[in-house]
Amino acid sequence: MRLQVYEQLMAMQASRRQLMKGAAGAAAAIAANGSLALSATPAYAADSIVAQIMKIPGAGNGSPTDADWQKVGELCLEPTKATVQPGEFKGIEFSFMGLNNQNLHNFLFRGFLTPWEAYTGAKIKWIDLAQADYNARLQQSIATGTVDFDIIEMGAPFEGDMGVKDLLSEMPDWVMKQIEFDDIVNYLKPPVGAWNGKIHRVTIDSDCHTMNIRTDVFSDPDLAKAWKDGGGKGDWGPPKTWQQVLPINKFLKGKKVKGKDVYGFLDQPKPWGGFCFYFLCSRATAYAKYPGEKNWLFDENMKPQVNNPAFVRAIQDVIDCLPYEPADQINADPGTTAFQQFLTGTGSLLEWWGDIGTVAKTSDTATIGDALSFDILPGSDDVYNFRKGAWEKLASGPNIAPNMAYLGWGIYVMKTVDADSKRHKAAWSAAAHLGGKDLSMWTSAYPSGFQPYRKSHTNLDLWALAGYDKKYIGSYMDSQSTSYNHPNSAIEPRIPGIFQYYSIAEDELQKTFAGKETAQQGADNIAAAWEKLTDKLGRENQVKYYRIAMGL
Amino acid sequence: MTGGKFEAAHEDLSERRVRLGRWLFRLATLLLIAVVALQTLDAAGVLTIGFANWRPVLYTYIFWGVALGSSQILTRGEAGQQAAFVLPALLFTAAMVIFPTIFGLYIAFTDWNLNAQSGHHFNGFDNLRTLWGDSYFWNALSNMAIYALTVLVQYAIAFGLALLLNADIRARKFFRVAFLLPFMLSPVAVSWMIGKSIMENRFGPAATFARAIGWENPAFFTSPWIARTSIVIMDSWVWIPFIVIMLLAGLQALPVDVKEAAKVDGANRWQSFWEITFPLMLPVSVTAIVLRVIFELKLADIVINVTAGGPGGATDTISSFIYREYRDRSNVGYATMIAEVYLIIIIIFVTLLLKALGRFMQKMT
Repeated sequence: MRLQVYEQLMAMQASRRQLMKGAAGAAAAIAANGSLALSATPAYAADSIVAQIMKIPGAGNGSPTDADWQKVGELCLEPTKATVQPGEFKGIEFSFMGLNNQNLHNFLFRGFLTPWEAYTGAKIKWIDLAQADYNARLQQSIATGTVDFDIIEMGAPFEGDMGVKDLLSEMPDWVMKQIEFDDIVNYLKPPVGAWNGKIHRVTIDSDCHTMNIRTDVFSDPDLAKAWKDGGGKGDWGPPKTWQQVLPINKFLKGKKVKGKDVYGFLDQPKPWGGFCFYFLCSRATAYAKYPGEKNWLFDENMKPQVNNPAFVRAIQDVIDCLPYEPADQINADPGTTAFQQFLTGTGSLLEWWGDIGTVAKTSDTATIGDALSFDILPGSDDVYNFRKGAWEKLASGPNIAPNMAYLGWGIYVMKTVDADSKRHKAAWSAAAHLGGKDLSMWTSAYPSGFQPYRKSHTNLDLWALAGYDKKYIGSYMDSQSTSYNHPNSAIEPRIPGIFQYYSIAEDELQKTFAGKETAQQGADNIAAAWEKLTDKLGRENQVKYYRIAMGL
Repeated sequence: MTGGKFEAAHEDLSERRVRLGRWLFRLATLLLIAVVALQTLDAAGVLTIGFANWRPVLYTYIFWGVALGSSQILTRGEAGQQAAFVLPALLFTAAMVIFPTIFGLYIAFTDWNLNAQSGHHFNGFDNLRTLWGDSYFWNALSNMAIYALTVLVQYAIAFGLALLLNADIRARKFFRVAFLLPFMLSPVAVSWMIGKSIMENRFGPAATFARAIGWENPAFFTSPWIARTSIVIMDSWVWIPFIVIMLLAGLQALPVDVKEAAKVDGANRWQSFWEITFPLMLPVSVTAIVLRVIFELKLADIVINVTAGGPGGATDTISSFIYREYRDRSNVGYATMIAEVYLIIIIIFVTLLLKALGRFMQKMT
């Protein structure tokens, strides 16, 4: 997920451990749709390492400190000790580039790796970057051949930028074994995390958009009555398809719950450095992502699909919904909708990353408290088959296609270490330590900047050890895992310069949402600009990289 | 000293000394050219010398500068010593201003997208042609014209405030400091304090006030003209104190006797202001307006933070457009071309503005 978001998130967050503590009255039923087997019985020994670290620092002991990170790092050293002798890397020094936002990311890595350094004898030089500097620094390093780091914390969308220049080291088998690679959720396995058949990434995070729902609004008897009286379709409740969103927005406009204005779905029309485009995609995937078809933003020849009827419908949906959203909604970016609107009680439906569920309980400024449940993104009654150029109704019912926006953070080792076998082993050992199974459970449950990304993270008993309420975390994990494991999830193309495509789209969408052009004109302009960009970056190569990225 | 200029005393310099000076300069220049050529060929891949960085050129440039200064002293004696005093500043300016500008011009004529596999290459006037047909650029430029025009309004308000602060009013010192406070704030902080909080449409005090006076659904950034006006208000709030300071300094330097003479002659307050204060303040006013226009033309931070150029480009500025092209789209060549063209536009505009203001001053005085 976007790091800036975590900056805000953690600034607001008292302690993630206390997250779901207490009542979670309105949380959705655990594993309601059966797509996820949430573990009900402890799959760990009481004295196991994971059981020990989940109590560090323990409920009610404040936010974790550097001492806690070091303690967790120390306890999680066992897999390293199985592959590395004490002092084996003495004399080796390498640099690690990552983010330094809100005392997270590199700050945690430092703590986790301090005992690793003490044990192995290696030394790490840290390169800390602010989020705003990250992309420019990375692209400049790649473009000018001045890669001055051996290990990097990087998002999956940049894998294409690195992969095409062959800058990444291939993950050795012993690392795959050490990090228990099979435990990682399937959508984060190759082609994601890999390039041209070679696996490069030690996954430490995952990302997807889910629907956050205000239960007090959708369980309000007065609203339910008014909905029926007004001829609303079906029972009053959260939307299961995008077609149901606009009627809800129209209905809720001008209504009040507990004396406060209440709105329906919140859109994010204002550009956000390319990240805003993910939100339009989340509205579009159910229309545009045909089951069994990997392509949805482009076809296999990189012909943009962004102006096909599916995307145009999604853009039109936003245009139609905006008049029924708060007055200044056109000036709302995702940060605004999440932290200034939804969490403070404005709006009752929000598509976002998994942060909402955690912040709702831990932030002093979040006022919605328990009145929150989670679900996979809505589906669509019909889906556009771009191969046939026609809309289709599936026999199985509405088409669901969760958007796995950003695909999470990972640790990557640069190829520069390959020439020296000792450096190579040292760098990969450090990466494997950060991506270890036990450590990952801790980073999922405590403030870190990372979300659950392993099958084993669905064990609710482990979350309970860190002070979480099982019912609430069950609903939360269900929405996440159902999305992760969905067979029709939409995976973005990790081609070089992908954020340039997103940024251009944002500019055009901003004009479209402001009424300067129609949905079709806006979509056509995006498609034309994307074609131009593909030519500029080198069409032949971009097509080749697209196919590699999508695993075609 | 003659005619306001220092003249060096005539010196008899030995031919050997002069020759040494000339050869020193020639050799240093040859060395500089050779190192630049070798580094360039190495960077272009024509030669494989293996320079790790461009420091050799930097060191040779410093050596060349020292050799140039020495040769001036050796060949011209005292006159050379005088030149040697100026040379460090001159060479520093060349390295820090002239070279980057020329290098920027070179970049502006290249197709350099950081993600392009082909790297960067000269593409003639392609970037200029793209710029000519770029609706985002022209939209931002037309917005800049509007923003620049608002400087006149800011100037009028600032003049009024400066007159008040110059008058014998109570708590004058307090007000002088208080009026300066917005100028001390970072525009980014102003974006959040005012744009994101005070003007927030649900709970912001400005929205509450707007509702109280009958605006049912106040939204300060939804329609183009209201959004533009909101940006101008925030920007003016930050920068008006800057104009006030300049004008206040000017007002305090005005000769009191002229005003007193006008009073004795029966001039009323308006006549005293329009016939005496305003014309006398014109040189300060012109400086303040020109500086403010230059600052205004660089407007970016508030726009980037509050509206990201929206709605639909209504508040976009050239600087925020360059920011998007470079930061979000890694479009180094094109973004540099926009910056260079904009620099030229600003230079032409400010030159014309100065001429026009000069004529206006002549008319007034």
